[in-house]
Amino acid sequence: MPDIVLPSGLTHARLDALRREFAGVVGARNLFFDDLDRESYRDKFAIDEARHRPLGAIAPLTAEEVRQIVRIAAKVKTPLWPISRGKNFGYGGSAPVLSGSIVLDLSRMKKIEVDVDNGTALLEPGVGFYDLYDHLQANKIPLWLSTPANSWGSVIGNALDRGVGYTPYGENTSKLCGLEVVLADGDIVRTGMGAVAGSSTWNLYRYGFGPAWDQMFAQSNFGVVTKAGVWLMPEPESVLGMDLEFDRPEDLGPLIDALGPLRREGLLQANPTIGNWLRAASMVTRRTDWTDKPGALDDSVIDAIRKKFGMGWWGVGLRIFGREPVNRTIYPILEKAMTDLKPLSLKPTSWKRGEPIAPTPNMGVPMTAPLQSANWHGGVGGHVGFSPVLPQSGKLALDQFHATYARYKQFGMDYQASFAFGERHLINVNTVLFNRDDPAMMKRVDPFLKSLIADARARGYCEYRTHLDYMDTVAATYDFNDHALLRLNQRVKDALDPGGVIAPGKSGIWPSAHAKAPARAKGSARRKGRRT
Amino acid sequence: MSRVMLIAAAVLAAPLAAAAQPAALDGHALFHAKCGMCHEAGGMGTGLLARRVQPAELEKRANLTAGYVFQYARRGLGNMPPIPPGDVGDDQLKAIADYLAAPHGGK
Repeated sequence: MPDIVLPSGLTHARLDALRREFAGVVGARNLFFDDLDRESYRDKFAIDEARHRPLGAIAPLTAEEVRQIVRIAAKVKTPLWPISRGKNFGYGGSAPVLSGSIVLDLSRMKKIEVDVDNGTALLEPGVGFYDLYDHLQANKIPLWLSTPANSWGSVIGNALDRGVGYTPYGENTSKLCGLEVVLADGDIVRTGMGAVAGSSTWNLYRYGFGPAWDQMFAQSNFGVVTKAGVWLMPEPESVLGMDLEFDRPEDLGPLIDALGPLRREGLLQANPTIGNWLRAASMVTRRTDWTDKPGALDDSVIDAIRKKFGMGWWGVGLRIFGREPVNRTIYPILEKAMTDLKPLSLKPTSWKRGEPIAPTPNMGVPMTAPLQSANWHGGVGGHVGFSPVLPQSGKLALDQFHATYARYKQFGMDYQASFAFGERHLINVNTVLFNRDDPAMMKRVDPFLKSLIADARARGYCEYRTHLDYMDTVAATYDFNDHALLRLNQRVKDALDPGGVIAPGKSGIWPSAHAKAPARAKGSARRKGRRT
Repeated sequence: MSRVMLIAAAVLAAPLAAAAQPAALDGHALFHAKCGMCHEAGGMGTGLLARRVQPAELEKRANLTAGYVFQYARRGLGNMPPIPPGDVGDDQLKAIADYLAAPHGGK
């Protein structure tokens, strides 16, 4: 067990006093500072176990308690690491960037208020996808969720970290509408129409009057979100679609070029995700069932797995949601666009209101089964992601695929990837599956990820989201005007939280007084106003 | 079989439609609310356990002790991550462990 890491300036005696103050707010039973507690908040998929060790955790129940905790922590400049439910495995889970931070665990905050007529929910951070799904089912509310592939986590935590789902409401962060936020000085602010006391339109109109701040609190450390409005999709009358498999790696380019215009035109309302064979296979089988040969899988093994499960090299599911006559008009257009590409297989799907729902994410049903991919190597596994944002171009996506696949082979890793559409972009989510029981493999993971980040930056691409280990690295790739965005973020951090109480290091943002603040950002005052 | 069908086959059943808030210290309700997403039919835990033990659903097991459940839920086991006390408190976890250790008559 590693030694306890104390934040700078905090002694054991002062920690004891701090804990007594915290206990006065939440009660001693909601403070977690013993060895087993610390262990339970570590990063479950850590690449390096020695990093990101929390000092302990505190679990408030109300925004008022959060406010008091933040004020107490600010007095002694002790960093807090807020988590909603801490289940974003592959990005750090419940662990902080900075060892010695105290996890501010919001899991107990589970209030749900649904406005059925307007299709909105006002949620606290501890509300998970399963909690909300069960609430809607138990109360027979005809609204659907937009669930990610791992639905164990928090609804608003996922939206704030810009996670995605697979229905027309799948860009989850864009479905946030109005936040309640505790700032580092303990002030509580509501955004958008929530700034009006007693507002009846908080969760209906995003922008309010003047600057709109919701996205300022996404992937940031500028405050602690204690409530958020989320829009939910009315249950559709019908869902039609098709599941497609494509045989060759090269089929990716034409598929992207065919789907892009359909998405931009709006015939496809949901964002399709093109996944490679391992994205599906890692859920249902293990590498050790097929080979004991180290290094990246060779084509003969890939072909055998694909044959056994009837998989293409790439697969994609398309769904159209809404009134049945409209769906039936759109379907043949999609079918022709896809059959022109000569897929390996095309299987139509159909659902009408009242029929049983297949438990898949594109039907808004939460699931955890995709996490089975952690067992791909047969041991205690894990994964981290590498997810650059690309244009919707088949040629550019294919180029990125070839370069990334070559790196996987060079580092002896098995290639698992998807290309997820947005309205105008693609996110190329590459999952690095590893075996934590294999020290030789674990040593390759960090240099592998750093090479992927550097390769992508050389092509002009940067990531939309990353693991704790790479937040500074990825933030540094956003380098226009000598990292002007990093400087802006730091100036906001300095204005709101100069002591670095809330999640120092999140998304590469540190207050300028912090020893870990990057030198390029610390030069902000001298460079203020610089233009290119 | 298509990959979507594979996923559906792996999931088997929709998540429970239990009440969102379990009754206080009702081990059965707490198990559904806190563990069901992974340890009922179609969940990650059930899928992984099925690769090496039957029955894979914890509620159908007859060899679980309360101490074992408590210990490994909190510490993690294999690919199961540890469950922090802010998510499932000690009293809640004890109620779940006692429920799983008690005979259920096959469920």
